[in-house]
Amino acid sequence: MKQLKVAIVLLVVGGLLTTAAFFMAFYTAEVQRFGTITVTEQLDTAYPLQSVSADGFQYGRPWFSQKIFYFHVPVAEASFLVFGVAAFFAIRFLITKRREYDTKSRMAMETSLIFVVLTMITGMLWTRASWGIWWEWEPRLTTYFIMTLLMIAYFVLRNSIEDEERRATYGAVFAIIAFIDAPISFFITRLIPSSHPIVFQSGMASSNLVPFIVAQVGMLMVGYAIYTMRMGEEILYERVEAVKEALED
Amino acid sequence: MELRTKEMITSMGLYSLLTMVVYQIALSQSGSSFDPRQIAAGLLWLAFLFTSMLGLNRSLVHEQDQGCLEALLLAPVDRPVIFFAKAIGNLVFLLIVEALTIPVFAFLFLQGGGYGGSFWMIPLVLTAGSIGIAGVGTLLATMSVNTKGKDFVLTVLMVPLMYPLLLAAVSATTAAVLGGDGSVEQFWAGMGGIAGYDAIMLLAAYALYEFVIGA
Repeated sequence: MKQLKVAIVLLVVGGLLTTAAFFMAFYTAEVQRFGTITVTEQLDTAYPLQSVSADGFQYGRPWFSQKIFYFHVPVAEASFLVFGVAAFFAIRFLITKRREYDTKSRMAMETSLIFVVLTMITGMLWTRASWGIWWEWEPRLTTYFIMTLLMIAYFVLRNSIEDEERRATYGAVFAIIAFIDAPISFFITRLIPSSHPIVFQSGMASSNLVPFIVAQVGMLMVGYAIYTMRMGEEILYERVEAVKEALED
Repeated sequence: MELRTKEMITSMGLYSLLTMVVYQIALSQSGSSFDPRQIAAGLLWLAFLFTSMLGLNRSLVHEQDQGCLEALLLAPVDRPVIFFAKAIGNLVFLLIVEALTIPVFAFLFLQGGGYGGSFWMIPLVLTAGSIGIAGVGTLLATMSVNTKGKDFVLTVLMVPLMYPLLLAAVSATTAAVLGGDGSVEQFWAGMGGIAGYDAIMLLAAYALYEFVIGA
């Protein structure tokens, strides 16, 4: 019960932080510029005037779709992190063979899958706005998509096994082997040419960094709350099953 | 054992031949200006992937039916040895089927196209790629054979895990088939990808097989 209280508090605080980050992203964060446009006559536009030269008037084009950065990147990083937690518990399970680690691993995997789906949705909105397409078979997108498929495969595998111990072991083995893709997906944009942007290479203004961190912390809190609540539910479920079995005997 | 070998080669070979027929349908509207060599490597690896899944599934279903796996576990050998023995068995089947498929594929689709690279490139990339397929496939098939879904589960687990390997293998094989400027670099880049995948995944499969076989 104490854990449930913590989870509810974290859910509320995390939700508030994520909402705060949302407003900060739109009101206080410095607007990144996406190139410039040059026109021959001065316009009354929302774009800031950058310079006046012989070529004409140069306006900075605000990169509005860039705002998705404050949600897409934290949620993607959270998905990698929670996937790592799932793999960690999978290893713990294989070493100790204690059932609680298997449940923890599965719950972490579920939480991570929520983040993965959110990453996919926000990512696709951004690619549509910025690249003009919904999807491209580009290294980061491809490896991340493969990671999504592997996570879904994890649940397909589990649902297809009846024996409890075997389900737990196979699930753990597959979680570990699937996790190999996560660091590859994370680092691939730094290794081979990719059209996916790498934001953190050149540093960032604090007005951009603060909402990002607030969103990241908020999302991790929400993630932890989801994980804890699902764990509580699962423990109750297992207890009910045990009672049922005892009654049958 | 003898009997099963024949059965495996026949079923896998026939399956891969049927895949060629399906390819003919897929390419039937491509017109005469289309050069099948551009996609030959992709088509070949696709056939190998699906044939290997058929073979892997069958090889382990047999064992399960006859209780061979339990017998193997009782035998006084190290469990990792069982992994390598099974993986090498699957590798040999796969290589035989590949050796049978390639001439047929070349006969059906690549006549008059010419071959760009050096001769040794194709066997090299085939072996390296097949090692990865057989190694990871053995681990996954040992799991999937104990599930309700069997072959379906194997497909769901295998295709995404095979993705990096196939991408590198298709790139290297295409370089070997087409030849030309930069093809040697592309070939070795692909081979590097395959080697990295094989090293990481075989190590993981080898370490995890003990848990799978014990469950």
